[in-house]
Amino acid sequence: MSQTRSTVGVTPVGDLVLAIETSCDETAAAVVDRARVVRSSVVSSQVDQHARFGGVVPEIAGRAHVERLVPVVAEALVEAGLSGHELDAVAATCGPGLIGSLLVGVSSAKALSLVWDVPFVAVNHLEAHLYAALLEEPDLELPMVVLLVSGGHTMLVLMEEHGRYRLLGSTLDDAAGEAFDKVARFLGLGYPGGPAVDALAVEGDSSAFAYPRPLVRENPATLPEDRRFAFSFSGLKTAVLNHLRADPDAATADVVASFQEAVVDTLVTKARWAVEATGVGSVCLGGGVAANSRLRERFLDMADGAGVRAFLPPPSMCTDNAAMVAAAAWWQLQREGPSPLDTGADPNLGLRLVP
Amino acid sequence: MLILGIESASGQVGCAVGGHEGVLASAHAGRGRRHAEALGPQIDFVRRQAGIELSELGAIAVDVGPGLYTGLRVGIAAAVSMAYALRVPMIGVSSLDLLAFPARWTSRLIISALDARRGELFVAMFRRVPGGIQRVADPRVCTPADLVADLEVDEERTLLVGDGALRYADSFSGLRGIELAEQGLANPSARALVQLAHARAMREEFVQPWDLEPVYLRKPDAEINWATREGRA
Ligand SMILES: [Zn+2]
Repeated sequence: MSQTRSTVGVTPVGDLVLAIETSCDETAAAVVDRARVVRSSVVSSQVDQHARFGGVVPEIAGRAHVERLVPVVAEALVEAGLSGHELDAVAATCGPGLIGSLLVGVSSAKALSLVWDVPFVAVNHLEAHLYAALLEEPDLELPMVVLLVSGGHTMLVLMEEHGRYRLLGSTLDDAAGEAFDKVARFLGLGYPGGPAVDALAVEGDSSAFAYPRPLVRENPATLPEDRRFAFSFSGLKTAVLNHLRADPDAATADVVASFQEAVVDTLVTKARWAVEATGVGSVCLGGGVAANSRLRERFLDMADGAGVRAFLPPPSMCTDNAAMVAAAAWWQLQREGPSPLDTGADPNLGLRLVP
Repeated sequence: MLILGIESASGQVGCAVGGHEGVLASAHAGRGRRHAEALGPQIDFVRRQAGIELSELGAIAVDVGPGLYTGLRVGIAAAVSMAYALRVPMIGVSSLDLLAFPARWTSRLIISALDARRGELFVAMFRRVPGGIQRVADPRVCTPADLVADLEVDEERTLLVGDGALRYADSFSGLRGIELAEQGLANPSARALVQLAHARAMREEFVQPWDLEPVYLRKPDAEINWATREGRA
């Protein structure tokens, strides 16, 4: 007579995870071995389809994900040199993101897990971003401070151990990436704004204009505790737009360089404060804005000055990809086991935080 | 050949498995928009009830729409993924064909009308032919008023079937020779999908998962607005 056993903590968890990421406008699939070796990582960007609208159009994204899903998954398996039956788990991002896009990946991953008879794992997209740095640095020591900056999020997180996150602060209004996009659109630099700003800023003088550094003081103790690690980019964005209206002849490269410097200065200063306040030995950068060259440069300098190790994922792992989802899924599988088959998607899913 | 059918184009979501013996097992949830939550467990349940392994499936059938976009994509994403992983072909069936299928014994003209939201309907027309029914016009989007005008001109004995027909029942009640199919037939069903797909599988009307095309019938709003603004409508 056979007995039903709980698989959690009993059956050793396999190492090869296929993950699917469809939370926004990239259709991505990847195979990662033991949360460290990237066997394949395929990203099909829809940026061309959204560019003329100046932002991501949810219905266009949903349609494109359905169209690209199978080719992207197939390519990830071929590149990894694996057949589906050799996999140990199938994961998908279940939030936060666009609901109609998330559901495509979740639905696909569940179907694949049923056919290949392996666990399904539903992954939090924000948690996945935290894991991007660990892909390259498996020996990275926790606790560490993570600065997560993207078009949708700007936050400082203390990663105490795997699955244990403490939020130090987040943005009160616009995300940093959003500010980049809006300033770029105002200047007619096209979409997405981040890379355009990065490229143009190189040619400008970052000290040409003194834009505000929101919620930054000489001494962090002079800020109220709940604002110390918080961000606010809406006022900075407005200051730039007002300046441009008042002084339309200002050199675009100088404006962009000065604006970027203000954003980077704010991000890096708060990251340094977080390192000092928590006493951790490592600090890591994640999210789409982490691909910004000036931020990377200043972040490394900051870590150097603070005497801590800095971890920067390669730019390809900063923007949305499925390898980071696979890595987060593997750790989650160790801790919590598979996700139930009736898991849905949650467009507003937050990082599960310790109080 | 054993076929698994997935249907999620309307407010309902369902799954069935069957073959030449007919439908062996089916599951169906009729409420709300939680298609993605329901579908995974349904596939597993139906497989167990039918007493088969998924590896025994010879094809995956799916409702390709028209329908409610998000629900539709949940079903199609699951179906193309299964077909790809099993290395089996697919059969795509229109939601409007599925609506008409259970009404195939009527001698009347059949019009299937799914609720397309925003005051519109997805509509197709079917006529009885030897051995079944045949679609006589391509699926289209129209308002209930458009459909009423057509029915008034045609004056043919007609059966209206679908949740769209029921939603706008008042618009059709004054017309002569029009009958409305009951609530039980108002949504496309996974059982009908497996039956219809089996007939098509016998004729080898297959499509590969990477070639399967959803039928939306409407462009995304952003594209419509953009085309209007650029004067390219
Ligand atoms: Zn992201």
